[in-house]
Amino acid sequence: MSTDQPDRSQHLVMAHQTDDSTASSTERYVFTPPIDIFETDDGLMLRADLPGVSLESLELQIQDNRLTLFGRVETVLPEDAVPLHREFEVGDFLRSFILSDEVDYDRITARLSRGVLEVELPRAEQPEPRRIQVNAD
Amino acid sequence: MAVFRLGQSWDPLRDLEREVDRFLQRVNLTFHGVRPGRKYPAVNVHESASEYILTAELPATAPEELELTIANGVLTMTGNRRDEVEIPEERFRRQERPRGTWQRSLPLPERIQEDQLSADFHNGVLVVRLPKAPQEEPRQIPITSD
Repeated sequence: MSTDQPDRSQHLVMAHQTDDSTASSTERYVFTPPIDIFETDDGLMLRADLPGVSLESLELQIQDNRLTLFGRVETVLPEDAVPLHREFEVGDFLRSFILSDEVDYDRITARLSRGVLEVELPRAEQPEPRRIQVNAD
Repeated sequence: MAVFRLGQSWDPLRDLEREVDRFLQRVNLTFHGVRPGRKYPAVNVHESASEYILTAELPATAPEELELTIANGVLTMTGNRRDEVEIPEERFRRQERPRGTWQRSLPLPERIQEDQLSADFHNGVLVVRLPKAPQEEPRQIPITSD
């Protein structure tokens, strides 16, 4: 499995809100979350730090051989809050991975706990060698 | 300072580089791209009309391994980033997530109600609310004369 290289130029995306009353656009940050990938007895496991992402705001998708995770982070602050001291920006998380053939796509499972997404990528069963009967005329 | 360079730059790309440079300098690089494994979790402090709100991103932290203490106007946070199942090093193919214990101390603003402090830890995000102490009523000092 390989990961897409983060493309810095895409980290700030413009999310255009097409609201009837206010045609405004809001800037949202999109971050590449840090991940771990390691081997398990059954295949591979992927862990991604997604603080602030809930089960409802997480999208995990497989298209062809690309696994994409997108986690939306809602602010926990009241509207009138003004920053006094800022060390990190709040933004959404996006990252995609190219899965190899060794992964059994149909058995991929995932769970989210304590702001960490765990995706289990089981190894595809190697088909048993099959004997082909040769018939003579 | 140039923080972003394409290997072989030619003129049409120079504008892009400058744009990217300007963009990267405006924001703190530390928090961009793959957020690198910082030993100390980043903390934001906001102020609303009624309270100060401290937020920190602490994924992979068990609530029982996060400790907040308050003494002499200093809030001290101690925590441990650790996965429930530890994985032997040789099994990793890629390792970007920070782990381990950390401690941070932050001086608190004056005039907060220390006993009213509340903390909520949800989805790996810590939110500490520090309600402001009410303004003291002006007190009339009686003046006596002979």
